[in-house]
Amino acid sequence: MLAARGKRFVAVLLGFVLCCLSTAARADDEMLRATMLKLADADAAVRVETLKALAKTGDLRVEAFFDAYRLGSVYLWNGRLVVCDEIIEDDDFNRFAPLSDVLNHEPLLKDGQPLAVPIGEVQEVSPNRKERKLAAKARFLLRLSSPDREIRMSGVKKCGDPPVIADAIEPLQEIAEQDPDEKIRHVARESLLLIQLDEARSNQDREELLRLSAELGSMKSMRALPRLQDMVNDLEDADEGGDLALQQTCVQSIETIGRHQRSVDRFASVFQGLSLGSVLILMALGLAITFGLMGVINMAHGEFMMIGAYATYEIQLLFMRFIDAGTLPAVAYDWYYVAAFPAAFLCAAFVGYLVEILVVRHLYRRPLESLLATWGVGLILIQMVRLRYGDNIGVSAPQWARGGIEIMQDVILPYSRCFIIVLCALCVLLIYYLLARSTIGLRMRATMQQRGIAKSLGVNTERVDRLTFAFGTGIAGIAGYGWTLIGGVTPDMGQKNFIVDSFLVVVTGGVGELMGVIFSGLGIGLLTKFIEPLQIGPFVMGAIWAKVLLLIIIVAFIQFKPSGLFAPKGRLADV
Amino acid sequence: MYNPSQPMPSNARNPCRYLSFFVLILIGLVVIPLLYYTGQISIETVNMLGRYMALAIMAVGLDLVWGYTGILSLCQAFFFSLGGYAMGMYLAHHGGPEGIVDAAGWKFPACLYVVYPYAVGEAPADALVPWFWKLFYTLPATIVLGLLISGAAAWVIGYFGFRSRVRGVYFAILTQAITVAAWLVFCMNNMKLCGTNGLTRFDRLAGHSLSSDNVKMALYIMTLLSLVGVYWLCRYIVNSRLGRILIAVRDDESTLRFSGYKPHNYKLFAFTLGGMIAGLAGMLYAPQMGIFTPASMEADKSILVVIWVAVGGRGTLSGAVLGALGVNLFYNFLTTAAPEYWPFVQGALFIGVVLLFPGGLMGLITSVKARLGTWFTSGRGKNSSAGNVGAVAEGGVR
Repeated sequence: MLAARGKRFVAVLLGFVLCCLSTAARADDEMLRATMLKLADADAAVRVETLKALAKTGDLRVEAFFDAYRLGSVYLWNGRLVVCDEIIEDDDFNRFAPLSDVLNHEPLLKDGQPLAVPIGEVQEVSPNRKERKLAAKARFLLRLSSPDREIRMSGVKKCGDPPVIADAIEPLQEIAEQDPDEKIRHVARESLLLIQLDEARSNQDREELLRLSAELGSMKSMRALPRLQDMVNDLEDADEGGDLALQQTCVQSIETIGRHQRSVDRFASVFQGLSLGSVLILMALGLAITFGLMGVINMAHGEFMMIGAYATYEIQLLFMRFIDAGTLPAVAYDWYYVAAFPAAFLCAAFVGYLVEILVVRHLYRRPLESLLATWGVGLILIQMVRLRYGDNIGVSAPQWARGGIEIMQDVILPYSRCFIIVLCALCVLLIYYLLARSTIGLRMRATMQQRGIAKSLGVNTERVDRLTFAFGTGIAGIAGYGWTLIGGVTPDMGQKNFIVDSFLVVVTGGVGELMGVIFSGLGIGLLTKFIEPLQIGPFVMGAIWAKVLLLIIIVAFIQFKPSGLFAPKGRLADV
Repeated sequence: MYNPSQPMPSNARNPCRYLSFFVLILIGLVVIPLLYYTGQISIETVNMLGRYMALAIMAVGLDLVWGYTGILSLCQAFFFSLGGYAMGMYLAHHGGPEGIVDAAGWKFPACLYVVYPYAVGEAPADALVPWFWKLFYTLPATIVLGLLISGAAAWVIGYFGFRSRVRGVYFAILTQAITVAAWLVFCMNNMKLCGTNGLTRFDRLAGHSLSSDNVKMALYIMTLLSLVGVYWLCRYIVNSRLGRILIAVRDDESTLRFSGYKPHNYKLFAFTLGGMIAGLAGMLYAPQMGIFTPASMEADKSILVVIWVAVGGRGTLSGAVLGALGVNLFYNFLTTAAPEYWPFVQGALFIGVVLLFPGGLMGLITSVKARLGTWFTSGRGKNSSAGNVGAVAEGGVR
């Protein structure tokens, strides 16, 4: 069912894109079909020319056609080209070919039914070996002339990666000079140099090699690194006099690139640390309220995050349904993620409110028991969601959250990660404002610190309890909402991924302190990303040992500061 | 905090407590074998009961730690797994296909093939049986090491935890984090502990085939006797002077410290002993299960042990046994009848035992008995003292 929905969604998007292009495109399509028909020509030279011509169209639909062509599923029928993926057989062993269009791959219709003709009516258009290779290359050449930036970029990159596509030199040169996108021009130059380097190596062209390796070095081309390394190894092995000048140039280039790579790595790990830290803070913020402020050992915290994630998913489904029904234009789809923000908060907060009334309010003075009871609540929530949604769902990130900004060469910050950092900052501000600057926050703090006195001064402490717990779980819901951009959504995601980490962040930070959560979240995030790439001899830390080491660090830290970074002081310390 | 509904661990000779346990022994030692030999129940049922009794041993260990000393430990399943892995390595040494040896002449445990990337039958010269596997080649060494390792792990965790006075909830969370970290490490393939597949292909225990019915029966009896032994050991401890101090740690650690005791030593003792008992349980569990995987130390497994104890009645040793057996039998019944509802029942158990029956089954029995007692003896007051002499306060947990 899910797959069907996904397909429908893709179809809707595709339909929308096609609609915009349709009027001008229809005439082009006929031209394209006419060109393709020449592939069935008897003359081999015409067929090769046709393949080359098709490669220049830049139409991604031709890529699918090339694939079908290489696999031999393109047929000639009634003087036109058709695609048939699979021959079917009826009960009497008559074989039929269900036909589909060469361009959009949709089944051909006859009287509203998919058309399947007897196998004798179609004639295979099978490529020979040379043509098949040409078609394989043409897939990438095709991308070079695509109007879409991303597709063009991937094509430009691929042409320079081994095995290089020598045919791409001409279009690459054109791109390197004329492409409107600076980044693509850069990559095209790089790919061009890489192709030339491979050619020069096979021709033993020394002057060219010198020029190319120096130039690649000055470009700080990371893709050239393995090839330059390879060259140096070859030069070292060939010990008859050797080519010292060339070797030196290569080594210099390798060093330049290596320096660049190290600074990129350092920058990337700082950013990843920040990003992980903000995820941790986001996860722990809700807990800082329910556990830190209220003292409830909320083991269902991860499940409230899960509810936030599923609320996001529901909103996405809702938008899809409206778009399908035509109530909303397809462009509105990306707005689902904005609409999901309050939905995630409210859903999680509502469930939290109910849980507070049913379970938690009986346990304010019994923390250990609240651990058990909320774990039970978590189990029930997980199973309810599992029975309703099954085990795995996909929340597709909105268009604007894909991709990233390149802030320096080879350092790309994904938008989704940046969004999480912003979301985290937003939540911190929201909580700070609510707790420290608003009346309800004042009542919350008063109730949590001196329940009796707050009550005697007219605060409805029970109501404040309910609202505070609901607010904490709502924040957890927002954390789950943010998580859908970067991770998978499953019913047991809370127990598996979040609960231990969130508690560690809160405990390390010092219970009941917002600042503590922020510092310990960032600290743990940065430290993890700092430890992970560490290398001791042949032993690389990796994610798991980093986690173990971090835990040891935290235990050691607790030896010195038993109540966390920001310990409550004065009378509060005894509560 | 004063909570009179909690049952107390009675120091007085209370025949009823013994009675319930004697009944259980009678059922386990006489009725079950009788039923089996007359063909009423299959050997699989006996085997299942044996496994649940191994779990009950772990629960008794936790009751000593949590119920009496007041330390909520969420790494009981980790110690259990350490024992299980020790026994599993021994069993893997003596299981699987014969005749495959490494360059040094050691027989290759079959389940290591998952880790070493080559087919059964060929062992390249550079692949050796890891040194720590060799320690577990003989049964006596395995038993001693299994107990020592689980005890040592508990001692280390406890030493650093109690030294810095990590208490109550914080200790629980710390131990849970440690369990998760250990689970991740045990799942790693290059640890040569067979990764997530776990230890498999068990065949013989001390020369006897594990698939034979008699061996299964013998293992069941052995588990039962171990359970009785562990029960009596814990009973002896909690009724001794040491036990009074443990209860004092639970009820008011600060006062105990001010009276000149060093609570962390007593906590460390209880925690280490609890860990060793869990290790023993793991060693008994592995041969009866036939496989031992890292799944047995996932975070939720430890919490399950806590719930067994809570359902049975925290602070009563027979309650721990009753809870472990009862919940598991119920689980066994429900997962065959309606598996998708088990999590609901489990969740309801967690919530219900906390909100409605803080004393668990034993507390329920005690209060029913007390009420019946007041009816029948019309106010002789014989049983009225049972419920509230040593009221359980959440010592050290605020």
